[in-house]
Amino acid sequence: MRRAALAIGALALLGWPWVAPSYFVFLASLIVVNAIVAIGLNLLSGYTNQLSFGHAGFLAVGAYTAAILATHWPGAPVPVTLLAAAIVTALVGLALGVPCLRLEGLYLAMATLAFGFVVVEAILNLDGLTRGNDGLRVPPARLGAWALAGDVERYYLVLLVGAVMVWAALNLARTRTGRALLAIRESEIAAQASGVHLARYRTLAFVISALYTGVAGGLFAFVVGFLSPDAFDVFLSVDFVAMIIIGGLGSVPGSVAGAAVLTVLHDSLAGLQNYRPLIFGAILIASMLFMPGGIASAARRISAMAGYPDSGPPSRPTIQGDHA
Amino acid sequence: MNLRAALLLVLVVSLAAVPAHAQPGVSDTEIVLGGSNSFSGPLAFTGEQLTKFGVDLAFRVVNDAGGIHGRRVRTIWYDDGYRPQEAVANTKKLVEQDGVFAILAPQGSPPVVATLEYLEANRVPLLFPYQSSPVTRGRRYIFQGMTVSDRSSKMMIDYLAGQRKYKKFAALYQDDEYGKSFLTAFEKDLGRHGLKLAAAESVKRGVTDVSAQVAKLQAAKPEVTFLVLVPGPAAQALKERQKIGWTDTLMVSTGPLTDERYLALAGDAAEGVEGLSLWPDPVASDLPGVRRYREDMQKYFPKNEPNRYSLAGYFAGMLFTEAAKRAGRGLTRESLVATLERIKGWESGILAPLTIGPDHETQKQGFWVRVEKGRFKQLTDWLKSE
Repeated sequence: MRRAALAIGALALLGWPWVAPSYFVFLASLIVVNAIVAIGLNLLSGYTNQLSFGHAGFLAVGAYTAAILATHWPGAPVPVTLLAAAIVTALVGLALGVPCLRLEGLYLAMATLAFGFVVVEAILNLDGLTRGNDGLRVPPARLGAWALAGDVERYYLVLLVGAVMVWAALNLARTRTGRALLAIRESEIAAQASGVHLARYRTLAFVISALYTGVAGGLFAFVVGFLSPDAFDVFLSVDFVAMIIIGGLGSVPGSVAGAAVLTVLHDSLAGLQNYRPLIFGAILIASMLFMPGGIASAARRISAMAGYPDSGPPSRPTIQGDHA
Repeated sequence: MNLRAALLLVLVVSLAAVPAHAQPGVSDTEIVLGGSNSFSGPLAFTGEQLTKFGVDLAFRVVNDAGGIHGRRVRTIWYDDGYRPQEAVANTKKLVEQDGVFAILAPQGSPPVVATLEYLEANRVPLLFPYQSSPVTRGRRYIFQGMTVSDRSSKMMIDYLAGQRKYKKFAALYQDDEYGKSFLTAFEKDLGRHGLKLAAAESVKRGVTDVSAQVAKLQAAKPEVTFLVLVPGPAAQALKERQKIGWTDTLMVSTGPLTDERYLALAGDAAEGVEGLSLWPDPVASDLPGVRRYREDMQKYFPKNEPNRYSLAGYFAGMLFTEAAKRAGRGLTRESLVATLERIKGWESGILAPLTIGPDHETQKQGFWVRVEKGRFKQLTDWLKSE
């Protein structure tokens, strides 16, 4: 049953460029990029209760790393550029995660918010590398002699990387690290009492989260093809937080669903021009009021009502009001 | 009649029908245009005025008069909030989903530059982008809107060094493509007059305190100080100069800066300041095109005050209408490009007679103004930039 559903889903994703118009292939790539960020953010916020309003900054670090590498080394194969984006961003995550250990809740949110601004300032000031406000044109991703210049090629690249990231995130929960992170989510004191090194795992969550967002940043650079500091404003960070809240804190499928909903919503509201922020905000508030556990918990409730009690993940239901 | 003949007939008919139907955005009754612009974010006011009160105003007038060769013009606007990735998404959507004929009047260098390659590769005309960087040059399907920096520089230096005989120049510029492209052009044009810039100070985008830079420039004792900034910091520079009593320099604003918002922000510190104006005064000018613009605005959007941004959009709408009319009933993207390239001495009643030609620039001239009693007073006729 579950396997059949997965196979159908995989076929639908692989066949998408043959049935959908070109624009929707591009949109699907954006959804996957956002989903990777949402999964990364969820590993941090959903697992260790550390809220970040600075993930647009991590996305920028990853995007600029990949773009600068691809510009200065024209033949760079795309696995190398993405790996570089992941490593550089993870290191930045480490650098931010260590001082942030002392901060909780609102103070942590403020520190990460500031980080987002610092990244934008750094991009502006390193204009020899980043071309500052003028923006950086990103050459197509390459695999040997093959340039992934079309929407369809880029979609398959993004889809492949996205699948790997989703698989890794789902399996993380079964590793020692994942169990430790889940234990921290349930109760920090209980986790410490059972021998979980709190500081180490909270920092690790920061690093993994940054790594995910760095990979997404590299893909973002190739999908959009042009970077400028204006792309990574604070509202983008807020969008990422909205994705995991709407999707469901602590849930990988929820992150993907949240990313899909928000990306499509942004796209379909673009035509409403000045009313867009208003309507967007109203939808966010409504979904938080009426669907507090996000899409993931709503889906779980629906499937439980339909008589599939075992279709949810093994861990406890998503965090509700008790942590807010 | 046999099957083969019938098939042949079908083939001939369908081939004949292909060109007419293959032209995106043009139907028997409609021409669809669109653009991604700022309706939220830092330039939301400009974006809204440019499109919904400028371009759309011109097209409402055209549609009420019967359209272009019987076709009504419809516009689709999407918000990008000045973010390049959303401009890319919106532009792809306009081209691939909405099937627009051309992209009209998008705003700002980052969002516009992000879409250049895509539009050029897909042969979609990008008409009159509202940004002044010369990166749009040398592309077949792109027609620049705002006057590019090197043309502005030539008009400014030739007037100040040639006619007014000033010798010592300095510049306060924004540290980005806008500022640096002006700085390079100033140095080149001053070189032609055997002069060079005595001092230049940069301002980061978004910074409002410019007192240190103003003090350094004062120490260089220039006769003329160029302001290559956006309204906020430029007004701040004028106030700072007033505060420290620096009177023996002529402050001069560049084309993109010389607007009503800058005047309003600077208040009485702007008195006596001069500059290159790319547009006639939208409120007071007696030019026939500007008068028509004000009458149309009064008729269709009586609550909206006239300003440069809606005037620029109105002009973009007029220019498209003129080219589409000349291209005739069989309008195609290629015929539009060819027609625009052939426009010679077109009288808009707003700007100087326009000849576009192979450079694809639709705005090439400005005139000199001085601020007197809080308004721009015109001092010269249209200056030459060739």
